[in-house]
Amino acid sequence: MKSADTTRFDPISLKILWDRLVSIADEMILSLVRSSFSITVREGYDLSCVLFDGNGASLAQGTFSVPGFTGTAPQTIRHMLAKFPPETLAPGDVLITNDPWMGTGHLFDVNVLRPVFRDGRIVAYTLSITHLPDIGGLGMSAVAAEVYEEGLTIPIMKLVDRGVVNQGLVDLIRANVRVPDMVIGDLMANVTCTEVGGRELVEFMDEYGVPDLSALSAAIRNQSESAIREAIRAIPDGVYRNAIDIEGIDRPLRLAARVEVRGENIAIDFDGTDAPVRGAINVPLCYTRAMSWYVVKCLTIPHLPNNEGATRPIAVEAPTGCVLNAERPWPTGGRHAVGHFIVPLLMGAFADALPDRVIADLGMMNVFNVHGTNREGRGFTSLFFLAGGWGAMQGNDGAPTLPGPSNMMVVPTEIWENLTNITVEKRALLTDSGGAGAARGGVGQEVRFRNDSGHALTVAFLGQRTEFPAKGFHGGQPGRRREYFIDDQPAAPKGRHVIAPGSTFTTFEAGGGGFGDPKARPRERVLDDVRAGFVSAQAARDVYGVPDT
Amino acid sequence: MTPYRIGVDIGGTFTDFALLDDRSGSIVVHKQLTTPADPSVSVLEGIDALLARAGASIGEVRGIVHGMTLVTNAVLERKGARTGMLVTRGFRDVLDIGMERRYDLFDLRLQFAQPVVPRAWRAEIDERLRFDGSAERPLDPDQVRAAVTALVEEHAIEAVAVCFLNAYVDDRHERAAADVIRRAFPALAVSCSAEIVPFMREYERWTTTTVNAYTQPVLDRYLRRIEQGLATRRYAGTFHVMTSSGGVVTNALARRYPVRLIESGPAAGILMSGFLGRLSGESHLLAFDMGGTTAKGALLAHGKPVKRYDVEVARVHGFRAGSGLPLRIPVMDMIEIGAGGGSLAEVDERGLVRVGPRSAGADPGPACYGRGGTRPTLTDADLVVGCLDAGFFLGGAMRLDADRARAAIRDGVASRLGLDDARAAWGIHEIINEDCARAFRTHAAELGFDHRQCTMVAFGGAGPIHATRIARKLRIRRVIFPLGAGVFSALGLLVSPLAFETLRSHRQDLATLTPEALEAMFAPLIAEARQVLLDAGVAADDIQVTRSLDMRFVGQGHEVEVTPSTADPAAALAELAPRFKAEYARRYSPILPPAMIEIAAWKVEVTGPRPAIAADYRLARAGTAAVARKGTRPLYSPETESFVDCPVYDRYALAAGDRITGPALIEEHESTCVLGARDHATVDARLNLVAEIGGHE
Repeated sequence: MKSADTTRFDPISLKILWDRLVSIADEMILSLVRSSFSITVREGYDLSCVLFDGNGASLAQGTFSVPGFTGTAPQTIRHMLAKFPPETLAPGDVLITNDPWMGTGHLFDVNVLRPVFRDGRIVAYTLSITHLPDIGGLGMSAVAAEVYEEGLTIPIMKLVDRGVVNQGLVDLIRANVRVPDMVIGDLMANVTCTEVGGRELVEFMDEYGVPDLSALSAAIRNQSESAIREAIRAIPDGVYRNAIDIEGIDRPLRLAARVEVRGENIAIDFDGTDAPVRGAINVPLCYTRAMSWYVVKCLTIPHLPNNEGATRPIAVEAPTGCVLNAERPWPTGGRHAVGHFIVPLLMGAFADALPDRVIADLGMMNVFNVHGTNREGRGFTSLFFLAGGWGAMQGNDGAPTLPGPSNMMVVPTEIWENLTNITVEKRALLTDSGGAGAARGGVGQEVRFRNDSGHALTVAFLGQRTEFPAKGFHGGQPGRRREYFIDDQPAAPKGRHVIAPGSTFTTFEAGGGGFGDPKARPRERVLDDVRAGFVSAQAARDVYGVPDT
Repeated sequence: MTPYRIGVDIGGTFTDFALLDDRSGSIVVHKQLTTPADPSVSVLEGIDALLARAGASIGEVRGIVHGMTLVTNAVLERKGARTGMLVTRGFRDVLDIGMERRYDLFDLRLQFAQPVVPRAWRAEIDERLRFDGSAERPLDPDQVRAAVTALVEEHAIEAVAVCFLNAYVDDRHERAAADVIRRAFPALAVSCSAEIVPFMREYERWTTTTVNAYTQPVLDRYLRRIEQGLATRRYAGTFHVMTSSGGVVTNALARRYPVRLIESGPAAGILMSGFLGRLSGESHLLAFDMGGTTAKGALLAHGKPVKRYDVEVARVHGFRAGSGLPLRIPVMDMIEIGAGGGSLAEVDERGLVRVGPRSAGADPGPACYGRGGTRPTLTDADLVVGCLDAGFFLGGAMRLDADRARAAIRDGVASRLGLDDARAAWGIHEIINEDCARAFRTHAAELGFDHRQCTMVAFGGAGPIHATRIARKLRIRRVIFPLGAGVFSALGLLVSPLAFETLRSHRQDLATLTPEALEAMFAPLIAEARQVLLDAGVAADDIQVTRSLDMRFVGQGHEVEVTPSTADPAAALAELAPRFKAEYARRYSPILPPAMIEIAAWKVEVTGPRPAIAADYRLARAGTAAVARKGTRPLYSPETESFVDCPVYDRYALAAGDRITGPALIEEHESTCVLGARDHATVDARLNLVAEIGGHE
């Protein structure tokens, strides 16, 4: 290829250079995932890696990251460079912060930025974000009343200064967290991966003869922006509204959205949403924006590589003093518990405008924290993930047991029993749990545990959809709600419970919402579902209008 | 005197045959159209034709090695047996619940491969072993009999998978159930999960087991037809089948473990690359194979391919990783991407060009085939830029239509993006080069390999066309274009040893491991694996045993394979921690996590003697042109963005020691080797073309 040192890139060169940049960000992610201790990083991709040009404008984001990191990094780097202007930075410097309002919404996420030097000047920045195993304070918990109780806030600081690790900061972090070796190990994994990215970027510039990334970065952003604008133009203009009720701390919360589509722009406003609550489920605006951008991306060009151009036409606002724009010192540790509902809220708003693109509500996932001692006397603290059913879409049944909007990794029964000695008696799909519809919602599951560890066990549930089931769209019915039982008696969905030796606890994971009128479901599909056991003969008759199965 | 050995490799379109005379090292090859309805027909006919061509009789043949796609196709096309499943009460739905993981966070319509056993054909059995192997609930033989009877009568199953929880610790319930089934229904094929793969993680183990059961009757019928055909011909030699890991097994073992054959297709080509590499004294290789729909890359250190124990098959939803069935079988580690001659080029949602993974397939195929295809493919682009000759495709057996190719590229890509046809065609060609280079770079990083130190071996119909440019992007300095690239896999079958791998999951802290315990874990695995080779007729002294362990830091999810250099338990134990740390540092990060080390799995590999092809082997010439230089044709030059006349050579007329300076096109029947402007090639003693990639600093 000819030298790319021009301000114009034809579609071939742009494709080649752009894909290569995304793959550099992907290699940073690979390096992070493989050396991280945090289970949410390793298995759930609770991370992000982003490349910027020498002016701090975004170039590329790694392919894998959870939705809450969509588009947060450009703001983060602006905050960082405001405190440490580029002309003050030297090779070997690494900046850090976990400020929820400058990063990604809670203290657990650490943002690590490295300026990349070539021939003595900054040509790029690499940034990585991971969810740390611990940040002190109350730990992963919904009970904090202020962010100060949630752990250590690291303001924007130098973690590494001209190649020398800031030992004072490391010692301070080490003294404030429960698993210091793992936390410091993960911090260093971030430092390493920004170095990997920087090295690869410089090689990239050498190889393709690109002395300055800013023209390329502008071309990438412009190409993304025009692609997304074209996709938005295809959405009918109008003002679309939706409001939903979700489980809060001690009473339900109302979330409301107004979406205005005009030409090639979208304006989203969350006016009408309830106030913040005294519990760690408040959402900083940066996270609200990320989830909103995520929804628009899914509805328009799902595989458009993330960068600032793709978010430019989408304005997101929320009134200060609402739970989706909670300011300091509201606690935000579990901001995803509320923030994830931005997905069904906005999908509902777009339901009439984009009936062939939206997804009915998801059964979502259940995370519970188990703390106990196994038969060998070895203590364990483990997160256990279980997924409800996926939402139905026009012409597409929801898959069974699929997590969303974030991802997770199931712990196999055999590994779980070996680690905890808690017996899993049953993992079974739940008949009729998927919302009925022309397209059926995904079924949830029943999982039954028996405490055979020989010791008392503490279990903290953190599941949603216990009061408000996954809604169906366009005449589709809701999925089954999530339920918890201890020794077959209903148990509080957000409490901490002590399970005696020999006792059982059971979760019923929520089903996904259906799409379209169940009576419109093709008869053969209903019969298939009855044969497979996903739908009962009675539901086939009463709900789907298919007798004689 | 039985001097001959035969390799038979079934591909989608052609079945390739190679007959090696071990006395002289001479090799005769043959190609024949595959008979998809019953591939045994083309195999047997082809063997007859090959022998006739070589003037040999079947009585002079010592061994036949067979590589096949039958098992893969049965799963892909869902043409396996009607298969039932017995499963621990409460766990029937493990196959549907799956990994509970999305492989794509943005695509909401994602799909997953369906299990091979429908939900209604899975019967729950009241039995339960605890995590430590102790019985909580015994197995009731009567219930097993009743359940299988019901599956046979109601669903007419031909095969059954027995999948019990924690059977990887102790398989007595699975064995007892299998005994009951075999006595009551001797015709049923039975696969037990702990026998197929004693690996902890029920979903993957059971998926592997159900796929094994599903393909058992199909493979059995196929092998029987071959055996009968060979018996009719009074064949008295051995018959071995290629596995996914690059070893061969007897037909008896293949029948027990058909799932292990599922990725055998690419394995032989990779092995042959290793063999060539050893002959050429290359220590690190990248085997690069590009065909009609995919490109594959495998890394080899000291001629040995890297192995892994998981592979995903039957992907759906655009072949996306995570959408298929995860299997735990020994395979050669390789990266495969949807990039081949049939890959379709289109304008993507970004307004840029995307090539693959969608493919025009064989029908209608690329536009230039003139069979009704109108969408541009990589082959069309390769033709327009001049890498291919319209009159010499498949040695002239098939004429390509350059006008159709150009029109497809113009309509599908060039005019929509305001590019001229040649630049668009070059773009399609180059995007595939970049896609391959990127995939190989990532794969090398995952394995801790420095790809710059590798020599590339390029084969497959499209591999030699793209090899030098991909090599340049990877800073690889040398590319070997083997002679006989079109029958490369059939040759690879002739260098595959009898081999068998087995493993066991068992978590063990390294700190408390004693040499005695280390040996005690390995002893039964080694005994089992050795017996397999003894049964196949390998002499006890010829069996090589390799022990290895999957190790990790406690709390981390990624395991590193460690292979001690010695069988002595105390010495091996002493090596484990340092070797693990060194390997971890090489692959991941020099900053070692401050955590304990544990062992997750114990693996044994046994290998018989490695058959060789004589170092001076010679392929019978396919052509005998006297003049190597055929003329010139215009080849697109990306440097000048114009066409320049490029010399064209007839590969079959080149002699050992000949030198060619790029740019040049060297044509053979199945492919064309493309040399760039700064590349130089020489022909080695075995008539392989060895290109030095110029212009590296």
